[in-house]
Parts: sequence; structure tokens; C-alpha cells
Amino acid sequence: MNRSYFSFLNRIIVCGPTALAFIVIPLSVSAQDVNSTSSDYVSRAEYDKLKAEHEAMKQELEALKATVRQMATAPSPGAAPAQPAVPAEGPSENKQVVTTTSTVDELRQEVDALKLQIKETFPGTTKFLLAGYGTAAFTARSGEDPFFDAAFNALFLWKLTDRLFFEGEMELEFEDEATDLNLEVAQASYLLNDYMTIGLGRFLNPMNFFVERQHMNWVNKLPDKPLAVYDGIFPESEMGAQLRGVIPIGPTKLEYAAFVANAPGLITESDDVSEIGMLDFDNDANFGGHVAVGGHVGFIPIPEVEVGYGIQRSKVGPRDQAVENILQSVDVNYVRDATWLKGLINLRAEWGWSHVDHFVYDADGSQGFGPLSFNNNRNGGYAQIAYRPTHLDNDIVRNLEGVFRYDRINQMHTPVGFDEQRWTFGLNYWVTPSAVLKLAYEVDDKNGGARDQNAFMMQAAVGF
Amino acid sequence: MTKILTRICKWIGVPGAIIVVSCGGLTWLIGCASNKPSGEVSAGAAHPEKSGAQLWAENCVRCHNIRSPGSLSPAQWEVAMMHMRVRANLTPEEHKKILEFLKSSG
Repeated sequence: MNRSYFSFLNRIIVCGPTALAFIVIPLSVSAQDVNSTSSDYVSRAEYDKLKAEHEAMKQELEALKATVRQMATAPSPGAAPAQPAVPAEGPSENKQVVTTTSTVDELRQEVDALKLQIKETFPGTTKFLLAGYGTAAFTARSGEDPFFDAAFNALFLWKLTDRLFFEGEMELEFEDEATDLNLEVAQASYLLNDYMTIGLGRFLNPMNFFVERQHMNWVNKLPDKPLAVYDGIFPESEMGAQLRGVIPIGPTKLEYAAFVANAPGLITESDDVSEIGMLDFDNDANFGGHVAVGGHVGFIPIPEVEVGYGIQRSKVGPRDQAVENILQSVDVNYVRDATWLKGLINLRAEWGWSHVDHFVYDADGSQGFGPLSFNNNRNGGYAQIAYRPTHLDNDIVRNLEGVFRYDRINQMHTPVGFDEQRWTFGLNYWVTPSAVLKLAYEVDDKNGGARDQNAFMMQAAVGF
Repeated sequence: MTKILTRICKWIGVPGAIIVVSCGGLTWLIGCASNKPSGEVSAGAAHPEKSGAQLWAENCVRCHNIRSPGSLSPAQWEVAMMHMRVRANLTPEEHKKILEFLKSSG
């Protein structure tokens, strides 16, 4: 009994799983069929339909791949709008994926741009600009040893707010076998309103058009600067406060600047007698305690023309013997880029006058040249024409610029004792709009027995 | 008032007094009438019909060669243009239009 029982049990153990497998597998297959189709068998029509759908999906996939490759190799992913990735009649799910990806990329770029703009509004972060210019030059002047020269002017600009602005300019140059560092400009400007700005500090002389607008070496058309208006009878910069702005009058404009500043000093003692009676414009300590008042008015009737008048008036000399000083200037500028000229023509002229009232120098004769008494009247200026054929097709020719300048200073009836006039012919080649190579020859003529000094000059100037 | 004007004329001369008093007074009046933040265009300003590119060409070339808009970044142009607004006496409209042109063309 026991033996037959165990034999029966053994058969169940061996055959059971086999039988169970035969029962369960068909049921399982049947269950899967139920889930995928409504019947137990796939008909030929259904098969063909599925095959057609499969082929269509394969084509769509290939189209998608091609679109993705195209987007990946595009130069500016955000520049072009997303292209349709699949045929218009096909399913739109993949197309939506590509379009969404492209939109997200565009949004990301816009957010990055906005972040940058917001960051830029923070004072002291990105509102700073380092500009300026550098110069290398060679000068061969008759009666002097030829020499190479170099200079570097760094211009620091800060926009602190929409109204507050600061500019500082440092000049590094070789002079008397040493490197000189000069603070040319250190001015804080505040826009009081749309037409009026107040400036405090050291600023370029507003009454002198050449100094304020033209003296930068990459702007000035010739290697050297005109007599009288630069390093002559006018100061280059002023230490004080200025009020300036512009008044639009219909289609014209009226520019103005008014300033108060330290007055120049009067040279009453010097080892070089020719300097007696001259003005010392580096009177930063304001020796004498005088105040200079001045200004400039410029009128622009049409965009090509600007005419101006400047004046500065002050007392100069020792406090108890101060005399009157008046500086005046007139300037005319005409710049036109016209087709009929086939280029850019540039006409500039400025003339200035300096008057120092009657003063007795070396009154007691202790310096060995006095007593010497005179009114110090000097005047001078320049006229310049430049032409550049910017409308010609030839790249080399249209970057060439011819320049001619006549400049003069009259100071015969001062201790200097001679007048000087010069004719300068120049040829420039503009490498970029702010980089120029200049060649010039200067014919010099002095009267009063002084030696003429013709000069050959070369200069490379780069503005940045 | 006459006494003050006489003293000003005596101190800085007639031309200087004309510069300081007339320009200062006129500008103050215009400015007060349209006191807006920098860069905003005032009503009745000059050149309403001119584009930024045109104003850029007209104003910049008066002193120096025109520099490419791409030579500075938009943020740098903002600083450079504020410098030029003060130095070259640009009107707020000119400043705004030229700056927009430079930033969009760079």
C-alpha cells in the first residue's frame, strides 16, 4: 500500500509540472493575444496595415534624424526657427518634441541675455571701458638730431548711473630722457537734465576746439600739432567746474560750455628771457589765487558745418600786481562725405588771440634784463584740408588720405622775438578706422633772424 | 538784476557774459520743462525723422572716422556713448538713437 502510494506520488511529481506546462502556456499565449487583438488570429489585411504603419514610422524616424543632424550643424541654433521634422500629414508627436526643444533653447538664450542685461545694470560691474590711443613716431628736423618717440594715453571711462559719469586720462610719454606721466583729464560729470551737464575736476579746455575734439593722435591728421592752438597760447586743460550741453533749435544745434577754473600763472622770472610774459598753464596750485572764467559756443546750422567762438578771462600775476588776461578763439569745421566728391573732405580752421595787459617785469633789475615793460599780445592758428577717396573701389586707394595744413604764430613783439609759419604736406594710410600711418613733410619759415627748421615726420597712431 | 548783470559783464567781459547767461538760462528753462532720465526723447526734439544710423554717420564723422558697431560690445557702447554725449554735446535723442543702432548692429 505504502509502496503503491509512493509510486503514485512519484508519478504525480514527475508528470505534474509537464502537464501543468501544457495547460498554462497555451493559456498564457491566449491571454497575450487577447490583449493585442480582438481575435485570436491576425488577418492578412491587419498585417498589411501594420506593415504600412511600420514603414511610415521608419520614414518619419529618418526624417527626424535628418532634422536633428541639420539643427546640430546649424551655425546659430537660436537664429533659425524650427523646421518641420516630418511630413505634414504624418503624426505630430515627434515634430512637437523637436519644436519644443528648439523653443526651450531659444528661451534659454533669452533668459541668458536678460540675465546679462540685469547684471549690466549693477553699478561698478560692466559699466567700465578702457579706451585711449598709442603712438610711435620718428622725426627728423633740420638743426636737431633725428629721434624716435612713443607715447601712450589711457582713457578710463566709468558710467556709474544714467546720470553720473567719470573719465580719467593718463598720458605716458618720453620727455628729456625720462618717462613723464601726466594726468590729462580727471572729471566727474553729472547730467542735470537732458540739455545740461555739470563737470568737476580736470577737463580739456572747452574754449579750444582743437584740444577738445582733434588733438588725439588717431584723430589729428598730421604727425605734429598746429602752432598756437596746441601747446601755444591756450591751456590744454582746466582745473575747475564746467557747465555744458546742447540746445536743439529746429534742425540746428547750439552747443555751449561755460567754466570757472584756476587762472594761468604769469611768468615773471625765468633764466630764459624769451619766457618772460608768457602764461604758465600748469598753475595747478593756482599761484596768485585768481579765477579764470570762460566758455565756448558752437553752432551747427547743418550737420556738415560747425562754427564756434571761445573766450577765457582772468587776472594773472602776483596778487598785488595782477593784470588782465583774455584768450579768445574762433573755429570753423566742415566735414562732408559726398558721392560727387567720391570721398570725404575735411576742412578745419582755428585762430586764437592771447592778451596780457601791460606789466613791468624785473622792475628792480635784479634779474639782469629789466625793467622790461610790455603788453603781451600773441595770436595764431591753422587751416587744414584733408581728402580721402572713400567711394573708390580700390581698397588701397580709398584708405589713402592727403592732408595739407598751414599754421602760424605771431609773437614778434614779445620777448620771443619772431613769427613762425609752416606748410605741412601729409599722406596717411588708414589701416582701420582708428589706426593710421602718417607721413609728412613740413616747410618752416621764421622771421626775426630765427632759423627755419624743415622736418620729415612719420607716425603710427592707434585708437582703441 | 541789472546790477548783477553789470558786475558779471565787468568780470568776464561782454562775450563771456552772453555765453554764460543766455545759454545757461535758456538751457535751464528747456531742461526743466523736459526733465527726464538720460536717454529719453523729449517732445519736440530735433531730428525726429533721422535714423540712428544716419545720426551716427553725421555726428561721429564731424570729429573722427566712423568706428564699426562691432568694434565694441553693447555694454561698452553704453559707456562710450555716454562719454561722447558729454564730449560731443549730443542731444538726448541723438544719444538714444545712435546707441540703439550701435547695440543692434554690433
